[in-house]
Amino acid sequence: MTSSQLMIEARGVNKWYPNGFQALRGADLEVRRGEKVVIMGPSGSGKSTFLRTFNALEDFQGGSVVVDGIALNNDLRNIDAIRREVGMVFQQFNLFPHLSVLDNLLLAPVWVRKRPRAEVRQQALALLERVGIGPQADKFPGQLSGGQQQRVAIARALCMEPRIMLFDEPTSALDPEKVREVLDVMRQLAFDGMTMVVVTHEVGFAREVADRVVLMDEGEVVEVAPPQQFFNDPQHERTRRFLAQIL
Amino acid sequence: MTALPWWRDSRKVGWLVQAAVGLGLLLVVALLLSNLEHNLTRAGLRLTLGWLNQPAGFDIAETLLPYRASDSYGRALLAGLVNTLRVVGIGLVLATGLGVVAGAASFSTNPLLRGLSRTYVEVVRNIPLLLQLVFWYFAVFLTLPPANQALQLPGLQLAKSGVYLLGARLVNGELVGGWRLSLELAALLTGLVIYSAAFIAEVVRGGIASVPKGQWEAAESLGLKPLATLRLVVLPQALRVIVPGLNSQYISLAKNSSLAVAIGYPDLYAVAETTLNQTGRGIEVFLLLMAVYLGLDLCISVLMNGLERLVSLKDR
Amino acid sequence: MSRPSLQSWRRQLFGSVPDTVLSLGLGALISWAAWGFLHWAFGQAQWLVLRANAATLTIGRYPEAQEWRLWLLLGLLVSLTGLSWGLLRGRATAAGWPLNDRIAAGLLSLLTLVVPPLLAFGGLNQLRLLFLLGLLLLLRGLAGRWLAHRWGLRLAQSWPLVWAGAYLLGLWLIGGGLGLTPVRPSDWGGLMFTLLITSLTLLLALPLGVLLALGRRSELPLLRWVSVAYIEVIRGAPLITLLFLGQNLVGFLLPGGLAPDRVWRAAAVLTGFAAAYVAEAVRGGLNAVPRGQLEASRSLGLSTAQTLGLVVLPQALKVALPALVGQCIALLQDTTLLSIIGLFDLLGIARSVLANPDWLGRYAEVYLLLAVLYWCSCSALSLGSRALEQRLSSSNLRPAHR
Repeated sequence: MTSSQLMIEARGVNKWYPNGFQALRGADLEVRRGEKVVIMGPSGSGKSTFLRTFNALEDFQGGSVVVDGIALNNDLRNIDAIRREVGMVFQQFNLFPHLSVLDNLLLAPVWVRKRPRAEVRQQALALLERVGIGPQADKFPGQLSGGQQQRVAIARALCMEPRIMLFDEPTSALDPEKVREVLDVMRQLAFDGMTMVVVTHEVGFAREVADRVVLMDEGEVVEVAPPQQFFNDPQHERTRRFLAQIL
Repeated sequence: MTALPWWRDSRKVGWLVQAAVGLGLLLVVALLLSNLEHNLTRAGLRLTLGWLNQPAGFDIAETLLPYRASDSYGRALLAGLVNTLRVVGIGLVLATGLGVVAGAASFSTNPLLRGLSRTYVEVVRNIPLLLQLVFWYFAVFLTLPPANQALQLPGLQLAKSGVYLLGARLVNGELVGGWRLSLELAALLTGLVIYSAAFIAEVVRGGIASVPKGQWEAAESLGLKPLATLRLVVLPQALRVIVPGLNSQYISLAKNSSLAVAIGYPDLYAVAETTLNQTGRGIEVFLLLMAVYLGLDLCISVLMNGLERLVSLKDR
Repeated sequence: MSRPSLQSWRRQLFGSVPDTVLSLGLGALISWAAWGFLHWAFGQAQWLVLRANAATLTIGRYPEAQEWRLWLLLGLLVSLTGLSWGLLRGRATAAGWPLNDRIAAGLLSLLTLVVPPLLAFGGLNQLRLLFLLGLLLLLRGLAGRWLAHRWGLRLAQSWPLVWAGAYLLGLWLIGGGLGLTPVRPSDWGGLMFTLLITSLTLLLALPLGVLLALGRRSELPLLRWVSVAYIEVIRGAPLITLLFLGQNLVGFLLPGGLAPDRVWRAAAVLTGFAAAYVAEAVRGGLNAVPRGQLEASRSLGLSTAQTLGLVVLPQALKVALPALVGQCIALLQDTTLLSIIGLFDLLGIARSVLANPDWLGRYAEVYLLLAVLYWCSCSALSLGSRALEQRLSSSNLRPAHR
């Protein structure tokens, strides 16, 4: 496996909050191109924090993170380059309420990649169709349901043509009926070959889509294994305890 | 590893921006100060406070503090300050009273009272204070009849020579005795109180409205009349929202007292202006004024913060 | 809420003995006050002072020979207002004007037909005003019918630029220079001056206030301290002391002899003053924008400047709009303080009129007119802000919900 296949390479990442609390303890992770990694763990385990170091939304004090060959350090140009290639979907959707759905998608490609508006518009409309929001292109986020908003959020991230997609508990804020429509979109995305790192509690999704499942607890990466092994034959005591709680 | 240029280094960018801004500000201030120095020496004035001891040489129309024209500038300014404190003190009390009444009245069951309160607030808030002040002074108080035809109101007698409270009697065509307020002070208080009370009424109204309707209903079901409910149940809870709002209104009132200069009441600002005109000591006078007003604001804020804590402690 | 019926009115007013006493007492008080006022207004008051000084109160000591420029400016403003009105409302209905528009048109026509003769404007001026009224309504109709449909969206984006251009043109028409006879700022006065100073100060204070608000929330300590210090010092000082500084001390601070016109000095002070309050209003708006907006924007690759300009500020300013309009009203009222330092805003020019021995003692009449003018302006702004608030809260800005 050559290093050009490695999309994310995180080694020994340590993070302390200003109040002294250590959120990440020597966390390691490798994500290859086209791989789907699901990160699970109890609340407060640092899984969201770890995810957010991959696109510099969280900084870290120790260790290294290399995304698509670009090192995450103090170089602002690196940070900008990484953010262009990494798409993120948030638990609270975070759509821009003052812009229409279509404009939400157009904003970044036009202003960051400097692409002509008409061209991006075509692509955006196609993406909206793909996630099933085609007819709502001119509506505003406030007029959509939670599930619809999250699908728009996914389309918005995809419109930047990222190489990696990060999902931070994408369905945790949704009503149970809406969870499925979002997972369907994510599943399709996975089958289309996108490299994905997903923090979630959805075991069904992990079993079906993940290439590897990661357990995090108290800031450490405890276990990394394919779903078959992770759910049926966990190696670590903490993994067993966690699975006992959620299954 | 090659060093990062500073504009790309996330650690350094912040410091360098601050350095640039800081340097810029320092340059501007240095420039202004050097101009100041140059112009002051040319005019023969150096920054000092010694001139405060020189005799003032002007009269102050009314003072609580004993003052004569031969007293020092320092004493003159002090007299002005006392005048300001007098207006602010009385004004705060009266404005709060009127404001609370008007604010509570907007919840009355009587539509006339409600309408009157709303109209009062909506009219007064949208007319500039200075206009109201000059109106009261020139169009109302200056047109009062002479002492022997003084206007009689319960407890008040209004005449050209002043406003008399609590029992003044007519002696040889003049009114003597009782408490006398000069026309200037009376007009200033009237305008200031009416204006400030309108805003205080809004704060009170907002505070009372913030108390959940359930409180009213519970009190009613216990048999309390509306007025008692207001006094015993709603107002104490509303105070938590009202007190911070009152803080800013009180500070506004204190600052607005400086408009006294427009109608001839010798408050601190008016005396300071006269002092400046006579001594030419612009910078010192200005700094003194700022210090006093900022100090006054601070005192009011500290008092109101203490009150806030008092009000919330009582709940627990 | 159903409209109260006659019965419920009666119950509320006279339901119990104390209520009845209160109602009768208040009723008597109100009637007595109204009667007294009417008696004064139609009996003792001498309204001639208003008719004789209408021009002075409106435009101060502006040279008569150059008045045509002001008429031109008024025509320009009226035309733009008509077009804007049409663009804004034209899309609402296809046939006929909405009810509110018809009421507004009716009121304006009534005012234009009734007030100028009352104030004894010359016949020529009355005709001019009627012409402007016609222009306003005509343009509103045309813009509503034709422009709104075809070019509505594209025009809407560049329309603020049109107004900005008109504003600059207006400044040139008033001040002169570059081909027109210059008219010194000390000759500007009255209502025109008040409106000019208010709008100019507001336009300059807005960006400054936004900068201060951003500075106050900055993570860089120096920027934060400087912003906080500026805002707190300015907010603690009475405006009159700051105007005083501007008038008397600027001479000390500038290199020898340089003394810009008193009007510009006062405008600069007002701008600096208003900016501190605008900053607080904008800060409230900035606080209301959820952190997630910032994160989403940054994760999409938008730079700090782009995030601020495209995502954060548009949302923050919408939330801060009611507070900003409140500042606008406060600023309009604060311009009256210019009369204390000897400038001829509406109040200042009114006081100079009253100082004229011809009009001695006519305080009540003049101040009443001023009170009506200020009250109408401030109330209109206040109502507009409330309408805008309602519009915005019921529209697309509701936070995401399941």
